[in-house]
Amino acid sequence: MMFRFEVNPSLCTGCRTCELACAFTHTKNQKPGRSRIYPIGYAKDEYVPVTCLQCDEAACIKSCMFDALRRNEETGAIELNLERCVKCEACVAACPFGCALIDNVHEEIVKCDLCGGSPACAQFCPTKALEYKKIA
Amino acid sequence: MRIESIDQLNQWREKCRTEFEAQKRRILICLGTACRANGAIEVYEEFKKVLAEKNINDVSVEAVTKTGCHGYCALGPLVILEPEGTFYTKVKKINIPEIVEKTIENGEIIQRLLYKDANTKKRVADYNEIPFYARQQRIALRNAGNIDPNQIEHYIAVGGYQGMAKALTQMKPQEVIDEVSKSGLRGRGGGGFPTGRKWATCAKVESDIHYVICNGDEGDPGAFMDRTLMGSDPHSVLEGMIICAHAVGSIKGYIYVREEYPLAVINLKKAIEDAREFGLLGDNILGSDLCFDIQVNRGGGAFVCGESSALMKSVAGEIGEPRAKYIHSVVQGLYNKPTVLNNVESFATVPMIIEKGADWFTSFGTPKSPGTKVFSLAGKIMNSGLVEVPMGITLREIIFDIGGGIPNKRKFKAVQTGGPSGGCLPAEKLDLPCDFDSLTAAGSMMGSGGMVIMDDRTCMVEIARYFLGFLVMESCGKCVPCREGLYQLYQLCTKICEGKGTEEDLELMEKLSKTIEIGSLCGLGKSGPNPFVSTLLYFRDEYLAHIRDKKCPGGVCRNLITFTINDDCTGCLACIKACPTEAITGEKKKKHILDQELCTQCGSCYAVCKFDAIDIT
Amino acid sequence: MLLAVIRREGVDVPALCEHEAIEPCGSCRLCMVEITKKEWDGWKNHVTSCLYPVEDGLIVSTHTDQVMEIRKTILDLYMARCPGSEVIQKMAEEYGIYKTSYITVPDADNCIMCYACTRICEVLGKSAIAAVERGHRKVIAPPFGDVPPDCIGCLSCAHICPTDVIKWNDEDGTRTIWKKNFELITCKECGKNIISREFADYIIEKREVPAEYFETCDDCKRAEVARKMGSLVTRAKEVSL
Ligand SMILES: Cc1cc2nc3c(=O)[nH]c(=O)nc-3n(C[C@H](O)[C@H](O)[C@H](O)COP(=O)(O)O)c2cc1C
Ligand code: FES
Repeated sequence: MMFRFEVNPSLCTGCRTCELACAFTHTKNQKPGRSRIYPIGYAKDEYVPVTCLQCDEAACIKSCMFDALRRNEETGAIELNLERCVKCEACVAACPFGCALIDNVHEEIVKCDLCGGSPACAQFCPTKALEYKKIA
Repeated sequence: MRIESIDQLNQWREKCRTEFEAQKRRILICLGTACRANGAIEVYEEFKKVLAEKNINDVSVEAVTKTGCHGYCALGPLVILEPEGTFYTKVKKINIPEIVEKTIENGEIIQRLLYKDANTKKRVADYNEIPFYARQQRIALRNAGNIDPNQIEHYIAVGGYQGMAKALTQMKPQEVIDEVSKSGLRGRGGGGFPTGRKWATCAKVESDIHYVICNGDEGDPGAFMDRTLMGSDPHSVLEGMIICAHAVGSIKGYIYVREEYPLAVINLKKAIEDAREFGLLGDNILGSDLCFDIQVNRGGGAFVCGESSALMKSVAGEIGEPRAKYIHSVVQGLYNKPTVLNNVESFATVPMIIEKGADWFTSFGTPKSPGTKVFSLAGKIMNSGLVEVPMGITLREIIFDIGGGIPNKRKFKAVQTGGPSGGCLPAEKLDLPCDFDSLTAAGSMMGSGGMVIMDDRTCMVEIARYFLGFLVMESCGKCVPCREGLYQLYQLCTKICEGKGTEEDLELMEKLSKTIEIGSLCGLGKSGPNPFVSTLLYFRDEYLAHIRDKKCPGGVCRNLITFTINDDCTGCLACIKACPTEAITGEKKKKHILDQELCTQCGSCYAVCKFDAIDIT
Repeated sequence: MLLAVIRREGVDVPALCEHEAIEPCGSCRLCMVEITKKEWDGWKNHVTSCLYPVEDGLIVSTHTDQVMEIRKTILDLYMARCPGSEVIQKMAEEYGIYKTSYITVPDADNCIMCYACTRICEVLGKSAIAAVERGHRKVIAPPFGDVPPDCIGCLSCAHICPTDVIKWNDEDGTRTIWKKNFELITCKECGKNIISREFADYIIEKREVPAEYFETCDDCKRAEVARKMGSLVTRAKEVSL
């Protein structure tokens, strides 16, 4: 079964529910982590939720010298294996969309992993600006 | 000339033998490392010069043969005159004309140059009657001192490469392995692992390439059996390796030689070149399918590089640090390929086993440790040097009958066997048979065969401290129990030597030793606490004397001893001159006085006193 | 390796020198366990689980008295070697050790000589630092104790260090580590430090990542994404109007 993560910026109201959903999904030691998704305003009351595009030729995977980033063939997401991550920040520097992030709360590198197949941001998005759709 | 078949080899051997035996009169001059240092080269040159000038019938210049070490290094330079076997010791250049004139021309023996038995005070002329040699049984050292290591013809003449020829032409690899297994040969490098079983496992591993490595690192301080073998009879090592290559199906061998052994390297390289020239190394050896070549590698200069996995890393050009051997190196060794690693002495023994058969070999030694073993005797012993004896001989026989006992009429206190991480055995254990299992059971080990003999003026705590210090320096530093644990053991031993130790320290040390033994990564750490554990086992009272009474019974630990002058003092002034702190005063012919305040317990007075007038308590 | 299986089963076994990104080396020996082989008549041995290959039917005991004793002794030894390390102190406290029984090593620092730094540098393909000397004098250092020529200032060594002994400093667009100075790439938009120029060049060359990706920081890159997508949305809206 194949899924697609769809972003429809014109529906985004900048309510930032996705941010909260993401942070709370990635809670450790009772501390919510840093969100992997950000609605960013580009004009008055106009927002684009920016998150990882899970690129085919991903710069993050290429730049990781320690093989900590690998694609999950089931979900299509590029997942970061924290056990292998050394925090050298190469992926953060290399991602052309700025979507590999430094989480200062848990002192980790974080990036969107599509929540293993059911992204919380899409679930909670009130306007369906974010959708996780079955395509086949 | 290439030898292509066993018939050619036999023809060549006949020729070599005829030439070798044509020299009835042979003058064997030891050019081993120790004799060299004492001027043996000069002696050699002088012999040739004098003989050339004199032009004596039947004694050509070729009769002068430079040989490898004879083992009796304390008496070098050594000269042996064959066929009588006249044994001259401490020969100097100026003695040569006299030797040539008297002994060689007129058959007269020069008493002054003969070996003198320290116990019977008799001069002994015949090599074979000297107790040091008479009790030996030489298998690995069969040719050491008898042939010129740089002449392959000599080795051939005395039957060399016969074992190899037999293996290659009459035996299948499995038969070779079976014969070695049957001989019960156990590794002479320390572990005592059955060589046959090692070869069998390696041969079974499927791989594109198998390696054979000879371990000539010999890092134990005071041990020099492998140096002697490689320097005096390098072809025997090559032959053993070729037989092993045939057995396990290898095409490439390495000899890893310790950095400090330049002579061994030179002789090995020359031997390899000669063997290649005659086709005994290279493609299709003796017309068989075996293609095998050997390369000499020089060691990294660390004790731990003798450990198998560290050695293989060093050969591969990496840092010589051991790795965990949960997968054995016979399966994944050098470059992760199946590798047989054996000690120099093990390889040198193999040709004899193949040539004469396993049954012959097992007729020496004990059922569980067959054959002979080379030991190096050092420390407080009359005859320091190398001896090869059947396994199972007692420590007493080695130390007293062959080694001549303790010098200066002192008492035997302990013998340390097995190198730095071996153990110390006391006088009660003198009748212990020397074989792998008995030594291990007694809390020591065979190791590579080093023996350090100690007299009653030795402090066992200080000895433990000394060896621990060596191991602290030589540990590779990779794993914690060995790096930090041995360091702490050493520090605690130092504390006891300084008189600051407590009984709790001893307890802590015992606990720590256990962790180091179980927890360390390689053999160095696992056996590292041995110097402490074995001395504590046999000399606990000495530790307690340091701790409870603040006394050093051996009279060594400076903080715990006092020097006093007794009534034997003749007033010779010697100690007054020797004392660096001017603590001794007195007049000629009157008993001297020692000021304890100024005394630093350096022992200078004790060393110079000829009248036993200094007491150490 | 065995350690991974033990952890997967939820059993807590400590380890300091172990990290997924590097080959196990068995230096800290805290992960030691007792194994029993049934087929060898119950033969027992103590092994470091980080290095021991997994085997069928192997019986593993992770908390026997002997194993605990070894771990305690090792932590005790660490306390003498690295008296200032909080990581060690915390770990030791869990095993009931508050003060070392041994003699504190003079001039002690917090390096536990676990080789994590040299191993990660090797994985990176640089091997700029190495363990030098032997035994108790062993230290981690650049070649000849000098400025390491092969270091690219990536900080992997400093990040992987379990006891945080490798220090670095970022100041005025310059990074200093191992006494070597590196130019830091600063964001062309906002001026924030990104990574060292040499590290970026290394990635660009080795992994064929376009150089321009490294010119701006992640924040500015996200803002740029929003701007570009936004303008597409705006144009789409205009077209539909
Ligand atoms: C710390 C250490 C040092 C060693 N040094 C030597 C050495 O100098 N020579 C040697 O032959 N074996 C040495 N060994 C033993 C080797 O690891 C290995 O067991 C041996 O070379 C195997 O050959 P063998 O079976 O013929 O004895 C050493 C072992 C350890 C743990
Ligand atoms: S993790 Fe196994 S020894 Fe350190």
